[in-house]
Amino acid sequence: MNERKSPIREQRIVRYIVAVAILAAALTYGRTRAAPDLEPLIESIFPAAASTQQDQNVYHVYDTDDHLIGWAGLGQSGGYGGPMSVLVGIDATGTVVGVRIVEQRETPVFWSRARVPDYLRAITGSRYDEVGYDYQDIAAVTGATLSTDAVIESVRTSIADVAGVAFDVHMPLPRKPFEFGLLEIVILALFAVGIASRRLRGPKRSRVRWGAQITGLVVLGFWKESPITLTKITAILSGYLPDVRTSIAIYLLLAGFLLTTILYGRNLYCLYACPFGAAQRIVGVIGGRRLKLPPWSVRAMETARNVVVFGALFAAFLTLQPALAGYEPFAVLFSLRGTNLQWLLLFIVLVASLAIRTPWCAFFCPMRTIEVVIQDTKRWLRRKRREAAT
Amino acid sequence: MRAMQIFNSGFFWFIEGILCVVMILGLRAFMRERGIPMPAWKWVVFGVWVLFAGFTIAFVGTSLGEGEPTAATRGGLLFGLIAVIGGAGAWRALVSGRDPGERAQVTDS
Repeated sequence: MNERKSPIREQRIVRYIVAVAILAAALTYGRTRAAPDLEPLIESIFPAAASTQQDQNVYHVYDTDDHLIGWAGLGQSGGYGGPMSVLVGIDATGTVVGVRIVEQRETPVFWSRARVPDYLRAITGSRYDEVGYDYQDIAAVTGATLSTDAVIESVRTSIADVAGVAFDVHMPLPRKPFEFGLLEIVILALFAVGIASRRLRGPKRSRVRWGAQITGLVVLGFWKESPITLTKITAILSGYLPDVRTSIAIYLLLAGFLLTTILYGRNLYCLYACPFGAAQRIVGVIGGRRLKLPPWSVRAMETARNVVVFGALFAAFLTLQPALAGYEPFAVLFSLRGTNLQWLLLFIVLVASLAIRTPWCAFFCPMRTIEVVIQDTKRWLRRKRREAAT
Repeated sequence: MRAMQIFNSGFFWFIEGILCVVMILGLRAFMRERGIPMPAWKWVVFGVWVLFAGFTIAFVGTSLGEGEPTAATRGGLLFGLIAVIGGAGAWRALVSGRDPGERAQVTDS
């Protein structure tokens, strides 16, 4: 693409610095917003509540006569789009009388499929030590596993906190296992293949790349549905780091993307692992992809992509809702889930792939914008070093 | 929504049938005119595509007729996507085997 060939100008670097400064300001503003007010939620669980007294994550709830009527436990965990917190109300007899979601930053499509209200209704009325945690079975069917895992963990933490404070009962939380499986091995293998095949040339290299991309399409796409998304990047940049024990894959993918872009100048994630790139290439082979776009239109669309990525990041940082940044139609292709706009985007991109070479990567993908920024900065720094040396 | 009931009627299927026949006759005439051979396997490929395209139109139509616009939109985009991509692949297969001299002549005209 012409982005790489054009000489790097100071003006472009200044533009990057301004953009990063604006995004940092938006993130700072988003993080300084007030924490959610728990009082109305506690009153909705305990209508007779008149006052509360906080003891770490547990609120002692009193009525107008200063009699203790129950406890509200605030449990927190990390979902797909960021932190999630849940308030569980337990009365003096040890019965769960109400559960409220205090905050969540999940992708709306997945959140609506997670059937959270059904689960919260189901556990309301149970004794605190008899609450069922078999909600993941529903999640496995609906596909919103990360969101439902976060709900479970938040509820479990709240109940354990209240049990400890109110009933002096120690309820140990289950230890999360360190998940390193086939997905992680495949990711490492794809990057290794990408690095090794840099020495290959011609049809041999093309065959290796096809093999890697089809593996990525099957494993990272249709099977595990774990491509890099702007939502995940935004969540990490916002400070919501996914649990390393259960999210090694995203760390491996991001590390591979960044390291190969910095070291080799071209990110090997997009070339060898990206499942959506593979889907476009396959469609391109079917269609013949003979259409050459005029350079002005390519430049215009690349600019439009950068503006869209900036806008998505700005909105996500300002509202601290990483899911707002997720405009990619990956979930539509790999699990038939998404908004109508994402369905339409998938249709347009794959039909365009028949005639144009990987249009998503060139004109829509946020990873391309990030890659270009890294490459430009690297070239500019190299030039500056050369100038300083002479 | 009453207007959408047309998609649940026999008239809709009548139009679908006419479309299929027109496409088959149109392809036959097109290929003859350009001298492109049409062995049996090409007719099978074309038949499968016509059936799938017809199914896509029928799915969208009957979903609208049943008052399911979301199903119509998403089903239309999904099956439409498969139909367009499959159509592009099928078309490349159908025009294969064209005589190079004939191709040049067609391009010149």
